[in-house]
Amino acid sequence: MSVLKRLSKSKYFNTVLWIVILIIVWEIGATVVAATKRSPENILPHLSGIIESVVSKDTINGSQTAVQMVLENAKATISRALVGFGIGTALGFVLALFMSRFKTVEKIAFPYLMIIQMIPILGMAPLIFAITQDISKSRIIIAAILTFYPVATNTLAGFKAVEKEKHELMISYAASKFQLYTKTMIPSCIPYFFTGLKISAPMAITASILVDTLQGGIGLGCLLSQALKGAMSRYVFWQIVFLSAFIGIFSFLLMGIIEYILCPYKRKGNKQEE
Amino acid sequence: MSEKALKRKKIDFNSVSSVLYPVLFGILIFVLWECGVLNTVLKTDTNILPAPTRIAGIMSENSSKISENLSATMTVIIWGLIAGSFLGYMAAVFATRFPNFGKGALTVLSVFNAIPIVALAPVFNNWTKDVSSEASVRSTVAKILVVTVVCAASMSINAYRGLTELKPFSLDLMKSYAADNMTVFKKLRFHNSIPYIFTALKVSVPSSVITALVSEYFAEYRMGIGRQIRDNISIAQYSAGWAYIAVACLIGILMYIILIIFEGIFTKRHRK
Repeated sequence: MSVLKRLSKSKYFNTVLWIVILIIVWEIGATVVAATKRSPENILPHLSGIIESVVSKDTINGSQTAVQMVLENAKATISRALVGFGIGTALGFVLALFMSRFKTVEKIAFPYLMIIQMIPILGMAPLIFAITQDISKSRIIIAAILTFYPVATNTLAGFKAVEKEKHELMISYAASKFQLYTKTMIPSCIPYFFTGLKISAPMAITASILVDTLQGGIGLGCLLSQALKGAMSRYVFWQIVFLSAFIGIFSFLLMGIIEYILCPYKRKGNKQEE
Repeated sequence: MSEKALKRKKIDFNSVSSVLYPVLFGILIFVLWECGVLNTVLKTDTNILPAPTRIAGIMSENSSKISENLSATMTVIIWGLIAGSFLGYMAAVFATRFPNFGKGALTVLSVFNAIPIVALAPVFNNWTKDVSSEASVRSTVAKILVVTVVCAASMSINAYRGLTELKPFSLDLMKSYAADNMTVFKKLRFHNSIPYIFTALKVSVPSSVITALVSEYFAEYRMGIGRQIRDNISIAQYSAGWAYIAVACLIGILMYIILIIFEGIFTKRHRK
């Protein structure tokens, strides 16, 4: 009894418990669907069926098994998302730097950053494709725009949150602007910078998959629309759904891990809090 | 005295320039776009990137068709936003009431937030096949459900913080009054959570617009602003595509402004 009580207080146990509940609900649903529908794998297949399709050795297009095909396409999607993410991060950081250094730049750019946040960039995907006429370019551009503004706004907030005392201390040391930024401003804005990255990493992935669906070729999105049209086993569709969910979640967690490695001082702070 | 006047002058200049600079920048872009300089820079013709006045003209020409699609999209956004925020708030209340068990649920919900919309939309399309025999109805339900999931996640996390991060000793005070859980919720937790509700909405309003547009891409029934953007561009009707994009941007901006106004009204009363 006391073991159970202790377990119920543990955070991990409760998370796992909820995942188990979700799996049970899914399986009950799958059983009901299997009993009532003609093609249950379209609506809600058993999880075992999906896992089976992942490990199965049967080829679906002559040369590749389902999972090989999904992974190959995933690689293409992720690599393009990464390029866009990288460009967007760099641009966002540089803009934030300029905005904090030059008041005029901030005044001009900040309202537009707010507006970008409100307008649906992903909805503009087909148009950017029409302008660039190149699917990989448009994918990179959209991923970059989506990455750019959370990074810029959060990093700017980080620059602004630097304590005044630190700023004054550096000035009293007669530190140059360059030193001021490299020694105080940039290190202290890193946690904010990572907040931006955590928001934008899953968005970059979503953008990349979505742009894939606009044109044939290679990429998770293309495969998704082909599988939806019934060109191949429905299990490919489910593999893609789970894989893209996993990539989205993983990209978010990965940013947290990188932050953990890069910011030892933050780690210490957390321990003190506990 | 003169120092004060100088200070006021400085503030005046600051506030004037912070309006003037972005407006001037906007006008500059507008003029460049209208005169076709933007087309040269982006190496596109005026067919793909029409001038703003032409887009506005097309918007007014097709106003009846646009408003039909607009109302379809707005239905999805509004109902999804309401349902998602309500469910998210309920999840947060549940997690506050049963802290250990409920917090696990919040962790799982926050993970849902990272799932790409592109993966959710087709799944909900499949699940809503039996809702109605009308394709338009079941597509709308599927789209609303996707928006609901996206909004629920951000609301639950923020509302949970609002319900639990109370002022020190306020909970002890309520306990000393022998207040039951319901009273604590009504008198203390709910009021404390209001600013957090708006924080959540500031995230979920823009993302509900995006989600609605993207889930229209996958919907069975061809309706809505997002679908029109895509369909018009795929048949090379770029100006019409731009008109719908302009509408989509307007939805996003207007909804955000309405939200800010509501935030002003509701949090002012509670700040005291």
